[in-house]
Amino acid sequence: MLRRTTVAAALLAAGALLLSACSGGSAPDASPTAVTPDPDAVVTVRLVSEPSNLDIRETAGAALDQILIDNVYQGLVSRTPDQKIEPELASDYKISSDGLTYTFTLRDGVTFHDGSPLTVDDVVWSLEQVKSTASYSDSDRLARVQSIVANGKDVVLTLSQPDSSLLWNLTGRAGLVLKKDDTTDRKTKANGTGPYKLTSWKQGDSITFDRNDAFWGDKAKVKEVVFSYIPDNQAALNGALAHELDVVTGFDANLKDQIEANGDFTLVLGKSTDKGTLAMNSTKAPLSDKRVRQAIRQAIDHNAIVKALGAGQTLYGPIPELDPGYADLSSTAPFDPAAAKKLLADAGVSDLTLTLTIPSFYGTTVSQILVSNLNDVGITLKVKAVEFPTWLNDVYINKNYDLSFVLHTEARDFENWANPNYYFTYNNPEVQKLYQQSLSATDEQTSADLLKQAAKIVADDQAADWLYNGASIVAVGTNVSGFPSVNVNERINLAELAKSKG
Amino acid sequence: MIRYALTRLALLLLGLFVASALIFLTLRVLPGDVAQLIAGIDAGPAQVAAIRERLGLGEPLAVQYLSWIGGVFRGDLGQSLLTGAPVAGQLAEKAQVTIPLGLMAMTVALLIALPFGVLSAVRRGRPDGTALSVGAQAVAAVPVVWAGMMLVLVFAVWLGWLPAQGFPRAGWSDPASAIRALLLPAITIGVVEGAMLMRFVRSATLQATGEDFVRTAAAKGLTRTQALIRHGLPTVGLSIITVLGLQVAGIIVGAVVIEQLFSLPGIGRMLVEDVGKRDLLKVQGELLALTGFVLVVGFAVDLVHRLIDPRQREAE
Repeated sequence: MLRRTTVAAALLAAGALLLSACSGGSAPDASPTAVTPDPDAVVTVRLVSEPSNLDIRETAGAALDQILIDNVYQGLVSRTPDQKIEPELASDYKISSDGLTYTFTLRDGVTFHDGSPLTVDDVVWSLEQVKSTASYSDSDRLARVQSIVANGKDVVLTLSQPDSSLLWNLTGRAGLVLKKDDTTDRKTKANGTGPYKLTSWKQGDSITFDRNDAFWGDKAKVKEVVFSYIPDNQAALNGALAHELDVVTGFDANLKDQIEANGDFTLVLGKSTDKGTLAMNSTKAPLSDKRVRQAIRQAIDHNAIVKALGAGQTLYGPIPELDPGYADLSSTAPFDPAAAKKLLADAGVSDLTLTLTIPSFYGTTVSQILVSNLNDVGITLKVKAVEFPTWLNDVYINKNYDLSFVLHTEARDFENWANPNYYFTYNNPEVQKLYQQSLSATDEQTSADLLKQAAKIVADDQAADWLYNGASIVAVGTNVSGFPSVNVNERINLAELAKSKG
Repeated sequence: MIRYALTRLALLLLGLFVASALIFLTLRVLPGDVAQLIAGIDAGPAQVAAIRERLGLGEPLAVQYLSWIGGVFRGDLGQSLLTGAPVAGQLAEKAQVTIPLGLMAMTVALLIALPFGVLSAVRRGRPDGTALSVGAQAVAAVPVVWAGMMLVLVFAVWLGWLPAQGFPRAGWSDPASAIRALLLPAITIGVVEGAMLMRFVRSATLQATGEDFVRTAAAKGLTRTQALIRHGLPTVGLSIITVLGLQVAGIIVGAVVIEQLFSLPGIGRMLVEDVGKRDLLKVQGELLALTGFVLVVGFAVDLVHRLIDPRQREAE
């Protein structure tokens, strides 16, 4: 089962993200000021990368998950800001003690935006479609689900073997409930059950949500939300300073002083699962030698990278702090250029020249530090900045690279390290076994412990380097409250969003 | 004249045909494809193959080209692979930003170039004339992006007179806001293009001053300036029309940059994004339309030139 890692999402965003990153606490509620909500408010939010179409079934990329999931489309369960799982379209759910039967009780009184009532048939149909359509993203995440049947107001999922990731997967695309046999053109429109309706998409410009007045739960506190797609950081800053934007996501932490100067904005840092991943092609000599990979890791000054980005924290293994299985793995490759030189000498490597393939939207901050750090231990690093489609072709598909940098944003994506065909080129049967065991575990703690063991092995094997764990950086207008702060590259849940008059 | 026009038209059509083949082929050389981009970096080969088949990307290149060009002859530029929206409709929508932007930019450029260009030629050798031409050199060397950022800083951020970015969502149903949104971007392109154009105006004017017929007019009793205005400026106008025709392409390129900087939903920004998404069917339609536009403008300029320049007519 292939796990998706939504680089695609961050895309153009990354320029911003790179220059950003984080260290902030993870208050679920971003905006500090209490405001008296204006029910007729329009909130304009800057986002970085626009989706190429709105088809959440087929088109990959966090640009869709970010805004459509929870706000427009909903699943049986959803995730809270602190990454816990809670019922959404299900009023309740039960898991049998053997982990093989999941019973969801459907909530009453839910309607789609077109007015038709939600039924168990819609749920069964939606899940069946995902499971049986190969071209749908996340289809393979329901691989262990054997049957999906309606039973009165319940939907019962029976599994072939336990799957500790199933509930989490159901909070994402795999679990979204759409109207059975809907004829809505999903590429440009949406018919969901969420607190907001998608009212317009002006391609190349903006997407607009309006409050869904027929929503089954607490109604949205603002009338309209406009997502304005502005790839350029400077344009976004100008827009904010000229009061054309209420919220700026993907903000460049190094511009903090400029946006806070007039007192109308507060910069909010939140944790994220963004992993700045330096992949190393271990199928090619001399990178096939673990000592060379370790030398590269020990040559890199991770603190300097975090400092240059202006936010974020260091990360020395494949699992970030927000995900289960995290442990501090800094001991696997502490910054030590002298040790790096010795490792290279031991490996009999001298005059090494490597090429770093990096999508150009990530800017140059990270690659400059890498060039300088590696030069200090005698490695010449050539930087090849390419368009993202070229990266996909050369690195992702053909695995034709030495080193590659990409910001992997997706939560809980350890699976890629257990997939020998992934572009990471990492193949350790023990890690694969531990990962399968963690999937099959029936309690969370056991599952997380197994992941922790596997992650330690990946870091010990020097499979790649993790340059930093990014931050979600959002500049929020002081008259806006309830904008999420955690992992906003993945989800922007607008349920609590409010804006005061003036 | 008619024979000239027909020859010129045949050349235009040939140019379009060559351009269409070049556009089609160069786009096919770009690495990475739309199916993989749709599937993302999670998808296995099976998912990508399923998407590729659904999009009809498996056809031989010759078949793809012929079906595209066949559509173009029937007036159909094609559809987006990603949204299914017709390219012509998308171009028409985005043109509502880019064409007014281009026209406004050109107006600004002419308003700067004509008076200052003639003035700096007439005042050649004097301090004010020198200052003007040195100033034009300096402004022409300014990168468009930097000029835009400075204008935004002053007029949008400090003074708050004009919007810093974006285009009103209501579009031209709110003309005042639409014009305000385009003003800074148009001035940005216009000032830089205008400074460049001014140098052409200056040298054309200088050349005209030295022409026999201007000197003759002066010898017959007109002042040098009167002679220049009455007999010299028409020839200046001719060279300006030619240069303006060439500048259409420059303004389109400027629009690509400026639409990014000001987040304007115009053709330039759409084109850049579509290339990034490898929506090749849409990109080839857009590029062909733009190329066609530039070629048609060139065609029109040639005809106009021919019509109003007596020397060319007589040469026939």
